[in-house]
Amino acid sequence: MFDFADFKESPLMLTMAAVIIGFVVIESLFFLIKAWKRGKEIGMSTDALKNAVVSSALFSVAPAISILATVVVLASSLGIVLPWIRLSVVGNLLYETTAAETMLDVLGSNINTEVTKEADFAAIAWVMTTGICFGLVLVTVLGKFIIKKINKVATKSQKSSNIADVISASAFIGIISAFVAQSINGKSSDGSSDAGFMSIVTLISAIVIYLVFETLCQKLKLQKLELFATPLSIFGAMAIAVLLNMWLPETVTSFTWWG
Amino acid sequence: MAKVKKEKNYFDTVHIWGRIWTVGALIVLFSLPVAISVYYNAWPEANLVFTALLKLVPLYWVTSIIEVITFTPMLGAGGAYLSFVTGNITNLKLPCALNAMEQAKVKANSEEGEIISTIAVASSAITTTLIIAVGVILFSPVLDDLRNSEALKPAFSYVSAALFGALGASYLKKHWKLSVFPVFVGIVVLLIAPTFGVSTLLFVTIVAAVAGALVLSKLKVVK
Repeated sequence: MFDFADFKESPLMLTMAAVIIGFVVIESLFFLIKAWKRGKEIGMSTDALKNAVVSSALFSVAPAISILATVVVLASSLGIVLPWIRLSVVGNLLYETTAAETMLDVLGSNINTEVTKEADFAAIAWVMTTGICFGLVLVTVLGKFIIKKINKVATKSQKSSNIADVISASAFIGIISAFVAQSINGKSSDGSSDAGFMSIVTLISAIVIYLVFETLCQKLKLQKLELFATPLSIFGAMAIAVLLNMWLPETVTSFTWWG
Repeated sequence: MAKVKKEKNYFDTVHIWGRIWTVGALIVLFSLPVAISVYYNAWPEANLVFTALLKLVPLYWVTSIIEVITFTPMLGAGGAYLSFVTGNITNLKLPCALNAMEQAKVKANSEEGEIISTIAVASSAITTTLIIAVGVILFSPVLDDLRNSEALKPAFSYVSAALFGALGASYLKKHWKLSVFPVFVGIVVLLIAPTFGVSTLLFVTIVAAVAGALVLSKLKVVK
């Protein structure tokens, strides 16, 4: 499974993976338990708290598999342990891939070539770690200040509370809008997932499956099942993308706005 | 009064623990390159590392500033500290927290919202970490085949369209008047600059959504 003779998958790397990933899991459990206890204290129902756990776990399955696929992509060059660590802590798909590619480029290599020198491997680890740490420093310094400022505005008066609600709801919509727009006419840096026929069909499929399932749950008085609407529509839309890719001519499925 | 004091204590405690865990995370994170360099006696050439960092830092550190200012109020204290340590914020933790708060019908700036958001981010982080760990340990040979499978390629290429279609459905249905303008702005920006990074695009669409909502609220189109 792991090639211990390879420095990229050595017992040292596996030990570091265990320590770093263990840290993330323990921190998550710590905050989960703390929030759960506080929720019970202020009278939130066990069902509401349980639903948050279950829906979030289900919601995370598809993106987690996608992250796992990136770990494998990076593994051909960096071994499997470093991408595994980096994609379990702080980073994201785009950042880690770009950071690794940038350092490899400076070293005169690329992501399709295996790293064979320890010094090059160390350089990549330094760059991946240093580049991303600023957000952590900032949230430590500014997090409390930002949240207090926002809450102050929200609690100042009824009028400003209404405005804060509108701002809060519209900020959520702003986030979704960016990704919806990207699925409609975005262009990926490597051209592998440019917007076009497939991205739009996948987007619409997810929306339709969600709305149909939600309506069915309400009509059949199965509100508890609404929890599964999001993961069902994610996997349903992904399955439709696979099926259409098999059934439709390539000229249709490969159509993108960006040629 | 006692409840207010308790609430203050809870938020303050979250900030204290959040900061401690984040500093701990920074130490643990940097222990990896230090361990590699020490163990293999492999210290990289500083000028090469700086050359790479010079290309990355301007983009990623500016993005970090935008992310901290934009996402922290939405995620609440616990959710924010946890999200910035566990990563994958825009593509996973933030939508996950929004989804959980929407389902629980709680507002982000309420204490209930703070609790649901923290639980959502923690559950998502644990699930993701476990799936990746199990995948790496048990399925790495199969995953290579999956990655190379032409049949399954569209599923992974368009995971973000599926994710945000599913998440957007309930928001677009409930707040369609607020949604039209930011989606339109996003499309126009991408027409002009198609490869705009998602963090920068997010900033633009969030500003457009908030500005649009304030105008519609003023015109009493939305309450």
